[in-house]
Amino acid sequence: MKRFICRRLITGILTIFIVFVLNFLLIQAAPGSPVTTLMGKENHDPEIRAMLEEKYGFDKPVIVQLGRQLEMLFHGDLGDSIIQNRPVGEMIAEKLGPTIVLGLTSALLALIIGTLLGVMAARKEGKPVDMVVSGTQYVFSAMPQFWLGLMLIILFSSNLDIFPSYGMTDARADHTGINYVIDVLYHMCLPAITLTLTLIPQYFKIAKSSVLQVTNEEFIQTFKAAGMPVKQIFRKYILRNAILPTVTIFGISMAYLLTGVMLIEIVFAWPGMGRLMMTAINQRDYPTLIGINLIMAISVAVVMLLVDIIYAKLDPRIRYE
Amino acid sequence: MKEILRVEDLNVTYQTKSKSIYAVRNAAFTINQGDSMGVVGESGSGKSTLAMAVLRLHDEKYTEITGRAVFDEDRDLISMSQTDMDELRWKEISVVFQRAMNSLSPVHRIRQQVEDIYRIHEPKASREEIRERMISLLKLVNLPERVYDLYPHEMSGGMLQRTAIAISLLHNPKLIVFDEATTALDVVTQGQILKEIVEMEKTLNMTRIMITHDMSVVAESCNKIAVMYAGELLETGMVKDIFKKPCHPYTQGLIKSFPALKGGHHGKLTSIPGNLPDLSVSCKGCIFADRCDRAEKKCFEEKPSYKAMQNGRNVACHFAEEM
Repeated sequence: MKRFICRRLITGILTIFIVFVLNFLLIQAAPGSPVTTLMGKENHDPEIRAMLEEKYGFDKPVIVQLGRQLEMLFHGDLGDSIIQNRPVGEMIAEKLGPTIVLGLTSALLALIIGTLLGVMAARKEGKPVDMVVSGTQYVFSAMPQFWLGLMLIILFSSNLDIFPSYGMTDARADHTGINYVIDVLYHMCLPAITLTLTLIPQYFKIAKSSVLQVTNEEFIQTFKAAGMPVKQIFRKYILRNAILPTVTIFGISMAYLLTGVMLIEIVFAWPGMGRLMMTAINQRDYPTLIGINLIMAISVAVVMLLVDIIYAKLDPRIRYE
Repeated sequence: MKEILRVEDLNVTYQTKSKSIYAVRNAAFTINQGDSMGVVGESGSGKSTLAMAVLRLHDEKYTEITGRAVFDEDRDLISMSQTDMDELRWKEISVVFQRAMNSLSPVHRIRQQVEDIYRIHEPKASREEIRERMISLLKLVNLPERVYDLYPHEMSGGMLQRTAIAISLLHNPKLIVFDEATTALDVVTQGQILKEIVEMEKTLNMTRIMITHDMSVVAESCNKIAVMYAGELLETGMVKDIFKKPCHPYTQGLIKSFPALKGGHHGKLTSIPGNLPDLSVSCKGCIFADRCDRAEKKCFEEKPSYKAMQNGRNVACHFAEEM
């Protein structure tokens, strides 16, 4: 196991490095440039352009620019945002918190609710309960996130005025301590509900099909033939075997949630990574984009490593040698 | 001799939305203590259905069973309540399934599964007690002690099948059903395991039903045979009688289609032409008439009743005596 983790760490770091280099090159290859954004729409003065390009090093060959980026990275510096003129590290650190709070809450809620519903539907397969729950899941999985968000805003904010429609805190109030936490939770209700509702179907589907599949496995017959009570078979043997695919789905979903749920964050004006990235793309803010992509790569690598370790604990058939 | 299982007029019907499939019809046989009966037939002939019905392991929603299966002279397995049946399971009737690779949970150790199965009937049994019991059984099937602490995927198919047999013996049941238990194994391992089963039987005085499509398995390990075709038992009796002189044309065909057991040629291997009939339509005459080369007009019109012949043999053929 230790050797496996070491090896996975090394391959993980290599992957992150390759992703970093590819990102750098791809962004350079895309049309547009931060210099254009800085100069503004009406300004076409070639002298100013040349001056700005020199200032940010865009006049040098791509390979030299890449070398400079890597050198900075080794010193733990992600560089400064060209547009906002602030350190990228600081900007990301500011936005990562809100994204983790929103993403993790929704992912955990969806995992728990989706899995429970899936298990229940599998046990009552073909009965009215199953048909209602499964049908609802299809509706939610076909619903676009942003649309559901907008509908919830119309219903709960505009019409009923129960929940706030935007932001993470009340800008006019200056809460501290427990009041601040409550304020954040209150603001999080609508975005979290939207995200959870659209995440539930994947856990539901995987849990239901997995339970049904294990129920038909031959070893379940063995326990039935031995006279084991159905409840014990279910709790100890079916669930334990059926839970494995859910772990994988949770891992993958988690990794992508950490990089921000762009549409939700824009609809609810949630100050997270998704909005930061959207703005950076529009403004061709290279250092910020590269920084965000690096965080994405690292979070995917770390979560996948964790999933592999958890999987090895849950399934004895997996041996990492 | 004491009777262990007497099946009388057993019918199993699967209900689907559009039709009924008569999977087993009018099955009847008797097994005495110490007997080992092989149920043979081609795929889809209903032999596993018969076993599952006796074990009450079918899906009750889609299956209808009539008739009787009297166990141990006084209890009818078919009409018995689910609770009574659970009480009987593994303690008096146990089963070894077809694919050993899948007959145990892949994410639990053999130890955990054996403990759980043992405690169904002996909830207070200690770990040491169960371990001791299982290890003595593992020895009986020629497996080392360490198997007890392994996961199923750490063993070979043969080892797993032996483990499954050992687990089926946990409570010393009166009757064990082997549902194609050696089919998935290679011939050498199958031969060894059959030999071990026969040896074991002598010491434990157990009674066995062996579901198989392999005539040679029956020849090697059973004293009684029931030949099944399209849901009906066409011929039942002692193995030595039937192998010497099969009285039903289908049995004759089956025996001709298997190679001789002990070297030598006994002529060309032949196959029986045709396929199993549609089990959703009831058949007026003899079920095998379509594929039988001796069939006459009578065979298509009149169902042959069981003809009792010597040594407890029963044959469902109009011309049994002439064969």
